[in-house]
Amino acid sequence: MNNEQTTPQVKRETKNTIRVEFDRTPLLERLKAKFATTFFLQKVVFYIFRLVLLLGISYVILYPFFAKIAGSFMGMEDFIDVTVLLIPKHWTLDTYKAIFVENEYMTAFANTLLLSLSTAIAQTIVCALVGYGLAKFKFKGNAATMFAVIISMIVPHGTIQLSMYMQFRYFDILEIFNILNDAGITAKPYIANLTNSYWPLIILSITGLAFKNGLYIFMMRQFYRGVPDELEESAYIDGSGTFRTFWQIIVPLSVPMMVTIFLFAFCWQWTDNFYTEVFFTNNKTILMPDIVDIPESLVTTYQGQNLFYSAIYNTCGIMIIAPLVILYLFCQNFLVQGIERSGITG
Amino acid sequence: MTNAKAVKAPVRRKKVSLDSKKARAGWFFCLPFILGFLLVYLPIIIDSITYSFSHIVQERNQTYHLEFVGLANYQEALFTNPDFVKTLTKGITSLVVDIPAIVIFSLFVAILLNQKMFGRAAFRAIFFIPVILSTGLIAEIDASNAMLDYMSDPEASIDTGVQESTTSQIVSAIEIEALFANMKIGEGLTETVVKIVNNIFNIVNRSGVQMLIFLAALQSISPAIYESCKMDGATGWETFWKITFPMISPMILVNAIYTIIDSFTSESNQVMNLIARTSSEGKDGNVVSSAMAWMYFLIVLLIIGIFALLAKAFVFYQRRD
Repeated sequence: MNNEQTTPQVKRETKNTIRVEFDRTPLLERLKAKFATTFFLQKVVFYIFRLVLLLGISYVILYPFFAKIAGSFMGMEDFIDVTVLLIPKHWTLDTYKAIFVENEYMTAFANTLLLSLSTAIAQTIVCALVGYGLAKFKFKGNAATMFAVIISMIVPHGTIQLSMYMQFRYFDILEIFNILNDAGITAKPYIANLTNSYWPLIILSITGLAFKNGLYIFMMRQFYRGVPDELEESAYIDGSGTFRTFWQIIVPLSVPMMVTIFLFAFCWQWTDNFYTEVFFTNNKTILMPDIVDIPESLVTTYQGQNLFYSAIYNTCGIMIIAPLVILYLFCQNFLVQGIERSGITG
Repeated sequence: MTNAKAVKAPVRRKKVSLDSKKARAGWFFCLPFILGFLLVYLPIIIDSITYSFSHIVQERNQTYHLEFVGLANYQEALFTNPDFVKTLTKGITSLVVDIPAIVIFSLFVAILLNQKMFGRAAFRAIFFIPVILSTGLIAEIDASNAMLDYMSDPEASIDTGVQESTTSQIVSAIEIEALFANMKIGEGLTETVVKIVNNIFNIVNRSGVQMLIFLAALQSISPAIYESCKMDGATGWETFWKITFPMISPMILVNAIYTIIDSFTSESNQVMNLIARTSSEGKDGNVVSSAMAWMYFLIVLLIIGIFALLAKAFVFYQRRD
């Protein structure tokens, strides 16, 4: 506008500071130029649209959890009262207490923690090792091994359920026990029955064959393929061996990815009901699936029974996932980081 | 000390090239999986296939032997079992509807979550909750929940344990039906859309890993490409179809296949439920479930194959290295 008057005017000058005033466009005009454009309008509309959409989907995800939590505090009477929705009238902790005491929540918690921790740690380590081997080393069986990983990923576990049970019910690698039995070394025919113990799941974990381990190996492989070879080469030149390089250079790099896989493995084992049902056929070892049951003190025959029982099952669900929520809050940052750095497109 | 060195010296003379040294290390890293696959997994698969062709006869001393019966199990599954063919057709139809819905939804959400905005971290945390929490047991509880709701109200699908909350769901479905009826769109499409809308909770729950994969793919696209595209004056729409879509098209294929595989294990999969029921209800020696499972697997493998072939024409691979 006033192009000729662009020279700054000195207003006040002290020893250390100088205050200069430029000729500026008035505030109103500046605001107009910034906000009263179609470009800005478009941006705002898009922003609101996006926000509403994301909030809506978040609501779809979170609403069941809220409803379940609300239902878990409701007394029996609330389920025939039509005026009750989401906010309980008869607050009660009986459902939680009954599940805690009668369904032996703490035993299930301890057992499942032991099982999930051991399998998750084993799976994380093994999948990292195998992924590294597949990503960074050229050896003859590389492609074949990758093919095997894909096979183990796409054969659904429901298909091999029965033979998996049989394999561990009559556990006999390379027929060793069979040969021993035939040779008469064992007193009576020895049958290694591994069901109803943690062994089947641990064996599957340390061989990278447990639930979704193919996916973990694939993720690790893609991650390690993105790690520049120069890192290892410089380590080799400095005289470090393969395993030391892996341990001291590669593992620290892949912590976010490994935490991601640990989180997946732990949570999926924690809520798993497939393997636990296949391998734990007698109910001596109480695991998480065993607590999903109606406690005896809450058995009822009144008309709201269906809804009430459903609410009890949901309370069981809440109690099962409560520890996972805490774990997730700590690890979710790693989850996003790990995935972002994986460069799965490789 | 000196002795040990003297013994070691001849071994060192045998020269091992760096390549074969590295190959050996590679074998070593993969050893746990290879051993497990050969000794545990392969026998399981072979057994499973053998079972589907035989009857199991339990013996008194806790062992068993197999009796080869040819295709009897397959015949029983296909022609005697009242539910199998029906459930199989239904399951495959729903699979075909679900795959595009899940892939498109997860791509859409991944693109949204990839943009810089207020509260992105919080939204990401919320969107990945189902991956961690709505699996296995919880999914089983939800599945039977839906059944209870279904008994009290046939249109209900979202589980809450609270009867009234399902009302909003029904309303939305009817509204969409009315909307489409007014627009004179074919009934088949209307039904599909209503099915998807009613199924939105299920779809959101099942698209977590796909979202993660898409997000990783989006992150790996170089920002420089977008920048130059912008400089040339491309709109967001053009950028999406010319840059984003081709760049992540391999991941669309991967996600479609992952979705198919994942639906095998989901609790809402009726075919797998039927197979599990058959295997638990069946009397001793009845291995029809194995035959069913392999037939289902083969059919789905066929779907994956068709998908992969179709996708081959459209997928764009960036040449690297």
